[in-house]
Amino acid sequence: MFEIHCPYCNEKRPEIEFAYAGEAHYVRPTAKEQSEMSDEDWSRYMFIRDNKRGEHAERWWHNAGCNMFFNAIRNTVTDKFVMTYKMGLPPRTDKQIDAARRTDAKEKASS
Amino acid sequence: MSAFRKTGRGRVDASKVINFTFDGKSYQGVQGDTVASALLANGNHLMGRSFKYHRPRGVLGAGWEEPNALIAVDRGKGRVTPNVRATTQEIYEGLKAESQNRSPNLKFDMGAFNNAFSMFFPAGFYNKTFMWPKSFWDKVYEPFIRNMAGLGPAPDADDPDVYASVYGHCETLIIGAGPAGIAAALAAAKNGERIILVDENAQMGGSLLSTPSIEIDGKPAGKWLETSLKALAKAENVTLMTRTTATGYYHDNFVALAERITHHVPNAEIGKVREALHRIRAGKVILAQGGIERPLVFNGNDRPGVMLASAAQTYLGEYGVAVGNEVAVFTSHDSAYQAAFDVADANTRIAAIIDVRGTIRDDLIMGATERGIKVIKSAAITKTFGKLRVKACEVYEPESGNKTKLNCDAILMSGGWTPSLHLWSHSKGGIKWDADLAAYIPDAPNENAVCIGACNGDFGIAAALSAGHKAGGGRKTYKTNETDFGTGLVLSSLPSYLDSSKQKAFVDFQNDVTEKDIKLAVSEGFKSIEHVKRYTTNGMATDQGKTSNLNALEIASKAVGKPIEKVGLTTFRPPYTPTTFGTFTGYRDNELFDPTRKTPIDPWAEANGAAFEPVGHWRRAWYFPKEGEDMHAAVARECKATRDSLGIFDASTLGKIEVVGPDAAKFMNLMYTNPWSKLPVLGCRYGLMCREDGYIYDDGVVGRMAEDRFHVTTTTGGAPRVYRHMEDYLQTEFPELDVWLTSTTEQWAVIAINGPNARKLIEPFVEGIDLSADSFPHMTLREGKICGVPTRLFRVSFTGELGFEINVPAHYGRMVWETLFEEGQKYDICPYGTETMHVLRAEKGFIIVGQDTDGTVTAHDAGMSWAVSKKKRDFVGKRSLARPDLVAEGRKQLIGLLTEDSKEVLEEGAQIVEDPNQPIPMDMLGHVTSSYWSESLGRSIAMAVVRDGFNRMGETLNIPMPDKVIKAKVVKPVFYDPKGERLNVV
Amino acid sequence: MLFDQAIDIPECLNAEALTVSLMGEKARYSLRLKSADVSAIKKASGLKLPAKIMGASHGKDVTCAKLGPDEWIVIADPVQKPKLDKALAKVSKDFTCSVTDISHRNVGFGITGADAAKLINVGCPLDLSLEKFPVGKAVRTLFESASILLIRTDEQSFHMECWRSFGPYLRDFFARVVTTR
Repeated sequence: MFEIHCPYCNEKRPEIEFAYAGEAHYVRPTAKEQSEMSDEDWSRYMFIRDNKRGEHAERWWHNAGCNMFFNAIRNTVTDKFVMTYKMGLPPRTDKQIDAARRTDAKEKASS
Repeated sequence: MSAFRKTGRGRVDASKVINFTFDGKSYQGVQGDTVASALLANGNHLMGRSFKYHRPRGVLGAGWEEPNALIAVDRGKGRVTPNVRATTQEIYEGLKAESQNRSPNLKFDMGAFNNAFSMFFPAGFYNKTFMWPKSFWDKVYEPFIRNMAGLGPAPDADDPDVYASVYGHCETLIIGAGPAGIAAALAAAKNGERIILVDENAQMGGSLLSTPSIEIDGKPAGKWLETSLKALAKAENVTLMTRTTATGYYHDNFVALAERITHHVPNAEIGKVREALHRIRAGKVILAQGGIERPLVFNGNDRPGVMLASAAQTYLGEYGVAVGNEVAVFTSHDSAYQAAFDVADANTRIAAIIDVRGTIRDDLIMGATERGIKVIKSAAITKTFGKLRVKACEVYEPESGNKTKLNCDAILMSGGWTPSLHLWSHSKGGIKWDADLAAYIPDAPNENAVCIGACNGDFGIAAALSAGHKAGGGRKTYKTNETDFGTGLVLSSLPSYLDSSKQKAFVDFQNDVTEKDIKLAVSEGFKSIEHVKRYTTNGMATDQGKTSNLNALEIASKAVGKPIEKVGLTTFRPPYTPTTFGTFTGYRDNELFDPTRKTPIDPWAEANGAAFEPVGHWRRAWYFPKEGEDMHAAVARECKATRDSLGIFDASTLGKIEVVGPDAAKFMNLMYTNPWSKLPVLGCRYGLMCREDGYIYDDGVVGRMAEDRFHVTTTTGGAPRVYRHMEDYLQTEFPELDVWLTSTTEQWAVIAINGPNARKLIEPFVEGIDLSADSFPHMTLREGKICGVPTRLFRVSFTGELGFEINVPAHYGRMVWETLFEEGQKYDICPYGTETMHVLRAEKGFIIVGQDTDGTVTAHDAGMSWAVSKKKRDFVGKRSLARPDLVAEGRKQLIGLLTEDSKEVLEEGAQIVEDPNQPIPMDMLGHVTSSYWSESLGRSIAMAVVRDGFNRMGETLNIPMPDKVIKAKVVKPVFYDPKGERLNVV
Repeated sequence: MLFDQAIDIPECLNAEALTVSLMGEKARYSLRLKSADVSAIKKASGLKLPAKIMGASHGKDVTCAKLGPDEWIVIADPVQKPKLDKALAKVSKDFTCSVTDISHRNVGFGITGADAAKLINVGCPLDLSLEKFPVGKAVRTLFESASILLIRTDEQSFHMECWRSFGPYLRDFFARVVTTR
């Protein structure tokens, strides 16, 4: 069972308090965009996801805790969380992910 | 005192005699014995039969790695524990142990004919043999396999014992309390953080338990151990756990510890915890699991009496038991010499040390000479003799070709050592090949964890102690007087003159995999070690390959022709040792398995004889049978009573969500297909919810309490998912809206009153609300009081009758119900359950989401286009409803069905076809979703989803059943009071 | 009987090292507030709303805990209810926020004694050491299958709440632990 850092509680909490909520950064088109969208484009938004191997941006819900949805970068090969960040923030850059990975490694080494 | 018990040896208390039975025969052991050590003390080596060939087997080891000596411990009905290792089961007064996998008894086993025909049971035997004919599988093959390849007995009654499960936390978890683990704990204890030290055995000490005379820093090891454990026991920050196995190592240092609390206790009381699962989150994990000696793979290496050299050392050092009178030692590693010397020093004759190697360390040769032990270099054992116990072996010297028969009643073997990487492997720690050890050792960690001592490839007591102290944050270097642990030679194939096809050289003792099987697998094309493992089943038994993995790897790599480090190690998986289901379950059995949610009115229903049904986590009153009534009769009566006069129904389980904020209506517009802006305050509306895919997700009545406050109801089962759905959209797609959601499902008890007398019933109890039809019309709500407590009173109807849903704060629910029920006697009030509710709503054609819809039904398909706003610019699901598939003609649509024979009640789920005489598979048009006997109509009614259903009104369709075909007419799905006049009772 | 929580606490849960009691009637509110308004609302309502998430103010009659970034729960003695109803109605009117009465949604347990944390750790995965879970900390978390609210009120005492229909499950769990140890 993982410990997941909730960016709202700002502490690590056991995985069973959380629920996975799909891939992150798929923004729902506005009403106007929807009305102008082709069926193909709408299907793509609805049904097609990257499902990336490696560092994957995904949504989690701290449902049995503070009740907040947030985003996470998690490695789908090792299963490990690299970082979590608040909902509404832009997708993390490679640089930010790298930095988070290094901080995590440093914390491990010092503990 | 038995012949094999050595006075003055071991840590057992020889003055305390303990009686137990094995296969019905009485034995005596002493306090501190395991079943294995006690049987060996009685000269009994035969303890089991092998899995496939039913070969007689004795102990191979002395601990948790034991593959052979599996027993069932019988504590009475429902309390038989199978597959217990005799080497780890402590004896207690009255213990009843049984051998396994034999019939009729251990000495004469019918199944042993498998052994005689073993040429027919090679690797992949099951895959090759039980292929065809297919029809043989159920009747011949499976019963055969189940009968022959059994381990212990399956339980035949409920387990009456109690199990526990708890969470725990510590900064440092140390697994294994041998010298390394204890030294780590001693060092770590000093910083005051929480430390847990666990060991699977009854006593802490590991290898120190069987080598008490070795000196650590000038003190006897036994004394050092005693002092150290006392110091740890005194430290408040240290928790010591014995008889506790770390069975699994999961993400982020989450480790499962299985504690056996009463396995060693005679007459353990039923009702007290027997085993406990500790779910530990540790800051740091120190693995000090030790190493396991490797068997040598030679012809006849499984005969009872052949065992690991270290096992004999343990039996002597820890239990004071000699494993024989005349012992041969067969080795390729230095460490076996010390074992031989220990055994010799306890006055057991050593027949010879047979060493595969040509060059042997001088001090070892000297030690042997001093004790008068003959060492045969560059030699191997090629045969063993004896039926149920070894009585001799054949020693072969390849250089001279000499073959000598050597009498012995036990053979100690050592093929080197394997660091125990099991938990490290669970944690996904890296491994690397160590050529000197001829074994894998830990490489980079994946968690905050470290391996120390033998499991890190650092053998010897001094090395373990120093590594332990360092891992615990200390700097002490320990000194001992032990002999150098030494090195060994690993050989995939021992010298032999016999053709390999004639040999039975076992690699995996528990799954009966021989050297030959592994070579065969490779020659048949299985080159990956993972495939070899699965094809031969090597390492897949309950011992998880503890003694066999490295030997199998060595053999496979030679056969494949690749260096061993390129072949790779198979993955170890939890649990480390077999763990009972009880331990995994913990407290969570019976009523604690899952919560049963009950409404505030549930106790009344129970007292009044309700039959219940589960709906999600809830249990709901299903119907209220009177004496002699079955469900059908009860439901018919309840329906009639409600339509004729008055019914009372507990609707408390309905999900409720309070939607509050200035943007509440805006949010409702987005979440539901219906329009909400113009719903007046104190108005109600039926709401239909879609997911973004356009299909019906949930429904329920929504009341507007204020401009900025909605009282939303959901289906009983849908409450959690609707709440999640709303929170998700609110937080992630519409965060700019000023609106908040609060689940209020349990704040309100809901009592539904239906029937022509509904208003008359509640009138005397209501304060502050004008109930008259004019001022309180259908689909509105009022706030006031009922029976003296606050209420949100909805005038709604899920039955078609005049109806009220009375919401009161939950803990007043029962009082209000009982008050109304008493008053209702005037009107022959009838309590009804979910079944009657379903019938009454079906008569009106109201859908149940999840019954009449299945996640592929749109509002239009359900005949509810009226609930979808045409004007709203946006709502969740709107764009999908325009997808070509969803607007296509001929989709499955919800219609009513009336059977030709009005007494015939269709089966829900029954398939519907046009032509019942068409060939199978038939073209299915759809299926029946709801079907009931309608007492009010005196006939059956049904709802169904049928392809192009709306255009089939009046058609007759067919429902083929196993014994007949039922004909039914397609109608509109409103069967009762289609104009809705019954709502208008004045 | 007017007010009925339908939970009885068995005798076994009344021991020296461990006492579990069922709390009586309470007034409870869920508040959802904008952070900019919190100090004004504190002043207006007189409620000691903690500023930090997972913080709690534990008074004689009123306990306030912050469970989410914009979510507070207020648990009060029922005699306070008329006063609180009035104050919170005014807050509701004056500020953009959500106030919802959830008095009967929950039931509360008082868990006290040297073994209190041990009992809670049977089903709650959090580290309840004083260092990690000090007095005054409040969280929403899990006890096995039940969502709970947990507030540490002193070193050996906890206030635990759950939705009312999960109350008997927790009670049965506690009783099993105590009677089988």
